[in-house]
Amino acid sequence: MGYRVGLTTTIPVEVIYAAGCVPVDLNNLFITDPHPGALVEEAELAGYPRNLCAWIKGIYGAVMKHSDIRVLVAVTQGDCSNTHALMETLELAGIKVIPFAYPFDRDRDLLKLQIEKLMAHFGVDWPSVERARERLDAVRRKVWVIDRLTWEENLVSGWENHLYQVNCSDFKGDPDAFEREVDEFLARARERSPRREEIRLAYIGVPPIMDDLYDYLEERGARVVFNETQRQFTLPYAAADLVERYRLYTYPYGIFYRLEDILREIARRGVHGVIHYAQSFCFRQIEDLIVRQKIRLPVLTLEGDKPGRLDARTRMRLDAFLDMLR
Amino acid sequence: MYCGLDLGSRSVKVALAGEDGGFTLRKFATADFYRRFGSCRDGKLAVDFRALLPEGAVVERVISTGYGRQAAAVAGARAIPEIKAHVLGAVHLTGLLDFTLLDLGGQDSKVALVRKGRIVDFLTNDKCAASTGRYLENMAAVLGITLEELGQHYRDPVELNSTCAIFGESELIGKMVEGHPLSSLAAGVNYSIFRRIRPMLVRLLSDTLVFTGGVAQNRALVEILSRELGVKVVVPDNPQYTGAIGCCVEAKLG
Repeated sequence: MGYRVGLTTTIPVEVIYAAGCVPVDLNNLFITDPHPGALVEEAELAGYPRNLCAWIKGIYGAVMKHSDIRVLVAVTQGDCSNTHALMETLELAGIKVIPFAYPFDRDRDLLKLQIEKLMAHFGVDWPSVERARERLDAVRRKVWVIDRLTWEENLVSGWENHLYQVNCSDFKGDPDAFEREVDEFLARARERSPRREEIRLAYIGVPPIMDDLYDYLEERGARVVFNETQRQFTLPYAAADLVERYRLYTYPYGIFYRLEDILREIARRGVHGVIHYAQSFCFRQIEDLIVRQKIRLPVLTLEGDKPGRLDARTRMRLDAFLDMLR
Repeated sequence: MYCGLDLGSRSVKVALAGEDGGFTLRKFATADFYRRFGSCRDGKLAVDFRALLPEGAVVERVISTGYGRQAAAVAGARAIPEIKAHVLGAVHLTGLLDFTLLDLGGQDSKVALVRKGRIVDFLTNDKCAASTGRYLENMAAVLGITLEELGQHYRDPVELNSTCAIFGESELIGKMVEGHPLSSLAAGVNYSIFRRIRPMLVRLLSDTLVFTGGVAQNRALVEILSRELGVKVVVPDNPQYTGAIGCCVEAKLG
């Protein structure tokens, strides 16, 4: 087995697997740490500002803690500019950083060039990348079923939907083991009786930094049946060509392209209201005004800063939102 | 008798309603309330209602709201969201069904759009106290005046730009050093509140604005709201009890 390669967000992970390396989504490494708050503090102690995205600080803390990660692929366009300073501070600490840029206008040639540069770096060719895609697609297709069982058959909770989809950014470093987990979950889920929450919600924006949002909603008779970004991590469009797959993938491109997917899915899934999550200090908070104009359903904008549980204010706002939807 | 309990951040408000439709209102400083009437039972807050209510009062139903509602385990009590409590109270107190509600409390600000007596949309401030009663208390203390005095002034405001309740104090001191009159300094504080809440209000504005919460006692802010927004501003009597009264209304409904 090759060395571990950190990722700052979803990239064409087929390239990493084709090279025999083990991808690690650093967001997942940060948030599943026993003490994610301590990783944020680590970054603040190093000099990261307090008024800055906790995901960026958490990734910094996670890389500093896991000394076996010496190489990472950082998305320099299609995520946020804080990543640039993250790359620089990690370079300062001796980490090798490989940049990857999603072209803003979804230009096919530029995207292909970026993927080929990544391939050249890892010394892999198209046939081996295609083989990796076929292997990963087999797992992705099973995770698509989890998503369908969430909204169409009501057998899966919002948190479970979140968890299995979000793990498709790196397949937990072991697609075979992850596939077994998915198979076991699917078998269990199919045995369940359909859930009967009266309120169906969409969750859009980056994954939440607090870990009890889904449970809190479900305890109050509401369930998330659409996790926008997490679903994107499964590359949910069935194009065979790898470049096209990452061109259809919405997350790194503009809000209007993302909204096409969001509007289509909230209509298809019979959603009553939308939660738009934006991280504290994130540029995506500005895009909230576009989201509110384009979505013709009630929208609650949630803000999260540090990892942990929902605070009293957020709980109050969620209660009022659910009450309004009833 | 019905009881509404608003467990706020600065004070706890209690409203009691008899069959005649009138309300008995009581207010306690938050720390004082928990010291006198609260105890911890099975990890949750239990309120001693026998000590809190008038002797011999038979309470049929208790409804609570506010920050403390999640933790309050009161026998027979049910909790409702604060925005719902304030809208119910505002509808009851004003008799209006279509309006925009502005509630400025101890530590937060809420705006709700109400149609046919129901909430159809709402916004609240997030992670910041710079448009709340606590901010006004701090600024009055910096100026060395009472909240009542602070709430008189809206003419010739100094400009305060800070979006932070704490740094706003330093900025205000800077203006004092420049020699501005007290009335302009106080007006500047009141205008800074207005500027903070204006984006929320503009998005959910109606012809009538019902203004509740403790800050609604600030007459200057009422004047600023009506002048700047060009709408009718209605402040119910005892605006700080709107949430507790809304709980009473809910308790009566069953």
